[in-house]
Amino acid sequence: MKKRTPWQVTRAVWYAMFMREAVARTMADRMAWFWMLAEPILFVSIMIFVRTVILGRSRMLYNADFVPWLIVGLLGFFLFRENMMRSLGAVEANSGLFAYRQVKPVDSVLVRCFLEGVLKSFILVLFILGGYLLDLKLIPDLALEAMFAWVSLWLLGLGIGLVVSALAGLVAEVGIIVKLLSFPLMILSGVILPVTMLPHFLQPYVLMNPIAHGIEVLRLGFFEHYVTLPGINLLYLWYWIIGSIALGLLLHIRFEMRLKAQ
Amino acid sequence: MIKIHKMWKRYHHHIANDWILKDVNLIIPKKVSVGLIGHNGAGKSTLLRLIAGMDTPTRGNIWRKCSVSWPIGLSGGFKPSMTGRQNVKFVARVMGGGDDEIQRVIAFVQDFAEIGKSFDEPVQTYSSGMQARLRFGLSLAFDFDVYLSDEATAVGDKAFKEKATKAFKKRVGKSSLIIVSHSEGIIKDLCQAGVWVHEGKARWYEDVNDALSDYTDSLKNRTIKVPTAS
Repeated sequence: MKKRTPWQVTRAVWYAMFMREAVARTMADRMAWFWMLAEPILFVSIMIFVRTVILGRSRMLYNADFVPWLIVGLLGFFLFRENMMRSLGAVEANSGLFAYRQVKPVDSVLVRCFLEGVLKSFILVLFILGGYLLDLKLIPDLALEAMFAWVSLWLLGLGIGLVVSALAGLVAEVGIIVKLLSFPLMILSGVILPVTMLPHFLQPYVLMNPIAHGIEVLRLGFFEHYVTLPGINLLYLWYWIIGSIALGLLLHIRFEMRLKAQ
Repeated sequence: MIKIHKMWKRYHHHIANDWILKDVNLIIPKKVSVGLIGHNGAGKSTLLRLIAGMDTPTRGNIWRKCSVSWPIGLSGGFKPSMTGRQNVKFVARVMGGGDDEIQRVIAFVQDFAEIGKSFDEPVQTYSSGMQARLRFGLSLAFDFDVYLSDEATAVGDKAFKEKATKAFKKRVGKSSLIIVSHSEGIIKDLCQAGVWVHEGKARWYEDVNDALSDYTDSLKNRTIKVPTAS
């Protein structure tokens, strides 16, 4: 048998896992494709209903329409959340494959996040096209900035996903806590209610949340003159991205055998 | 050649973490098939997993100077919700090679396993014998120097056992086997050398018959107690 370089082995593993995950994710049940699109649409509809019928039409946003603003925020948050949640289950779901020593737990997380990002980006494009047809002002004003913020949220999901997947493999309770946190995080990240609406003394705490930074920069990419908190800073988000990816990879290297054995 | 040097292994659990293997030193030469013998829980499967590289020793080292298969066992290695074909394709891709190679592996496994239409049904619908056929065929599709088997043929029917033995005998001279089995017949049939795993130690025997007789003797000296249900 020919000896392969480590990089060739890794590439072969990523390719094999990607094909398998892609089939499992999109073909697993006949409605998989439908729900991928229907879930954000339904969520947006419910939120618009809550906003307009229950809360009334008070003006909360400057230089951005509510519906496109909400869609951008939700899709950005879903991108982060799904990357984190899919990573959480990745190691366990692929535990049968660690019989092949070429496959490492970290590969399952990396491949899942890549696939998730591709799917979510595709859905974003569909939303932008649909929004264009419905005249929703969903075309980004600053396309490059929007794309960069999108990739940043994706990488943040990957970094946090790497960390929590390793920790949850060591301490099962971490998984439960992460699942519990996913909904409050949506509120705290200013997805549904704008961060500018929060009382002044709370704003420094909101600015500690890197997701809020990512989502607000994404919105600034879509709506150039949108007014947000002055402390929004992409660099802060990148500190988190680099820190969490480094920590996650370290944990996966250190505890590789423990994760395989679970 | 596989060299194991001063290797110790234990697992961490909440309750106990005793050493499973204590100071194992072995050199398994090229093209020599080895049977691992010992009573249940002696550490045979652990040793096999360590040789396969699925696990790392707590202390000491293992060198593998040849290509080693994954342990072909009773479970693991397949995703139950996917079909036999998809699982085979996955492994073929992990092992590298282009589309031709993948097609060759699929054709080989399909031919060897002889499970008919079930090849395109989810693995979770297979009987244990069918899974063993698929697993075995899959490992034989690649040219390893050493094949590791952990009771891989135990659940197969007679025809499959004969086929598997024949397939291995065909490879004598090209590659070798390291097997865990409680069937003396299979070990005598396929192996030249033996390793007796006992009380954390692994002892090497040039002749597998010596290993088997020592193992059997150790069983005779034990008084067999059968608890009575009351």
